[in-house]
Amino acid sequence: MVRNMTGREFILKTPLGVEDILALRVGDRVFLSGELYVARDATHRRMLSEVAQGKELPFPIHGAVLYYAGPTPPPPHEPVGSIGPTTSRRMDPYLAFFLERGLRATIGKGERGEEVKQLLEKYKAVYFIACGGAGAYLSTFVVSQEVLAYEDLGAQALFRLLVKDFPLMVAYDAFGGDLFEEGKIRYRRILLYHRENSNRGE
Amino acid sequence: MKEIWVFDIVEKVKNALLEINIRSDAALRQKMLDALVAEESEAGREMLTQILENYVVAEERRLPLCQDTGMVMAEVRVGSEVSIRGGNLRQALDEAIRLAYREGYFRKSIIADPFFGKNTQDNTPGVYFFEWVEGNCLEIDLLVKGGGCDNITTLGMLEPGSTPDDVERFILRELDRKAALACPPLVVGVGIGGNGAYALFLASRALSRPLGSLHPDPRYRELEKKWCEDINRLGIGPQGVGGRVTCLEVRIETYPCHIASFPVGLVCSCHVFRRKTLRW
Repeated sequence: MVRNMTGREFILKTPLGVEDILALRVGDRVFLSGELYVARDATHRRMLSEVAQGKELPFPIHGAVLYYAGPTPPPPHEPVGSIGPTTSRRMDPYLAFFLERGLRATIGKGERGEEVKQLLEKYKAVYFIACGGAGAYLSTFVVSQEVLAYEDLGAQALFRLLVKDFPLMVAYDAFGGDLFEEGKIRYRRILLYHRENSNRGE
Repeated sequence: MKEIWVFDIVEKVKNALLEINIRSDAALRQKMLDALVAEESEAGREMLTQILENYVVAEERRLPLCQDTGMVMAEVRVGSEVSIRGGNLRQALDEAIRLAYREGYFRKSIIADPFFGKNTQDNTPGVYFFEWVEGNCLEIDLLVKGGGCDNITTLGMLEPGSTPDDVERFILRELDRKAALACPPLVVGVGIGGNGAYALFLASRALSRPLGSLHPDPRYRELEKKWCEDINRLGIGPQGVGGRVTCLEVRIETYPCHIASFPVGLVCSCHVFRRKTLRW
C-alpha cells in the first residue's frame, strides 16, 4: 500500500510510551533525547545468555530504545567517537526477546525481515533509521557515552548514550508501514519482470 | 634498480589511511552535491544532507567518517626494476594499518580466525593482492570498505554467450534486493570474465579507479553510463528510503574468459568511498 509520506516532525524523550509510538508513521522525522542503549550482535548474544542464567538485563528495558551500533574509540579530545548505525537485519532474531520485555524502539539501518513488521505491530513498537555512514555527524548529538557492561567485547560492549535531538526517521511503524517499500514503489521507473509479484524477503 | 625503503612505504600508507578515513575527497563531495540536486525524494534529500554534514564534522573534529573503518584492501603492483629495502612489503602494510588505526582512534574490526579467533586489536591484517609488472614503479591502490557494503558482494556464473543486457539484468536484480543494506548511494564495481575468483577480484579492482575516471573503451563507457542510470530507476534512493539516487557510478573491468562460462562479479562501495592510489 502506498501512503503519502508525511514528513512530519516529532520531538520525543526516552523512555517512550505506547502513545508516542502510536502517533508515528513511516517517513516521520523524530528528534530523540534521553538514553539510548548501544548493542551489536555479540552484545545481544551475551545479554540473552545472561538472562538464560537467571541474571537481570543490564539496563531498564521498559520503554527503552536500542541503538544497533559499534562506535569507534573516543579520541582524547572528544566525548565520543564516530557512531553511526549498523545493519539491523543481523539483530532480527533477538528482537522478540526484547519487545516481550518492554522495548519500544530500535535504531539501525537497512531493511529487516517481514517477521519484524509483525512483531512491531503486536508489541506496538517502531523501527527507526539513522543515516548510515554519517557517524561523525551523528556523534554531535551525543552528550555522553559510558560502558554499561561487557567491556571485554570492545566496540561490541553495551554502551549507554545520553543524546539530545538525535535525528531519526521512522522506517517501520506499529501499523505495518514500511518506508523502504513505499519509497521504492513511489520512485521506481523501471520494470524488473522477476519481482513484481514476488516478495523481496526470499 | 630503484630502491624503495620499507619505512617510507609504512609512512605513506599510514598517512593515506588516516586521510581517507577522515577526509572526503573533492570529487566525492561534488558527486554528493549533484545527487542532492537530482534527488526528488524528501527523505532521500534529508539523508544526503546528513552525508554532506558528516564530511564537515569528520574533518573538523578529526573523527572517522564512518564508525566502520573497515578491512583495508591493498592492490600492489611491484615493478621488475624495483628493490624493496629494509624489510618485507606485507609486514610494511600491516605496520601501516596498525599505526594508522591506533593514531586515528579507528575501530578495530578484524578477528584473527573466522571461527575461533579473537579481535587482533590493531585491525591487521589487511587483504593484499600482489602483482609483478614491468618497469621501475611501485603502485599501491588502497581501498577501505565496511562490512555492510561488503556483505552484498555477489558472484554470478551466467550462461556463456551472455549479452550486456543479460549482465545488466543480473546486476539490477541483485541490487534491487540488496542495495538498501549497503548504505547507498553506491559505487558499483562489475568484473566480467576470467574465472569466478578473478571476476570478483576485477570487480574489487574496478573500485580502485578514482571518481569521474572514464573507461578507456567507449563501448564500456556507454554501458557504465546506462547501467548507472538504470540502477537509479530502481527507486531505492539514499539509505534505501526511496528516491532517484541509488548509484553514483558503475565501473566495469573485463578479462578474457572460457567458452563454457561467463563469470560476473559484483562488488560495491557504500557512499563513504574511501580509496587512494600511492605511487613511487
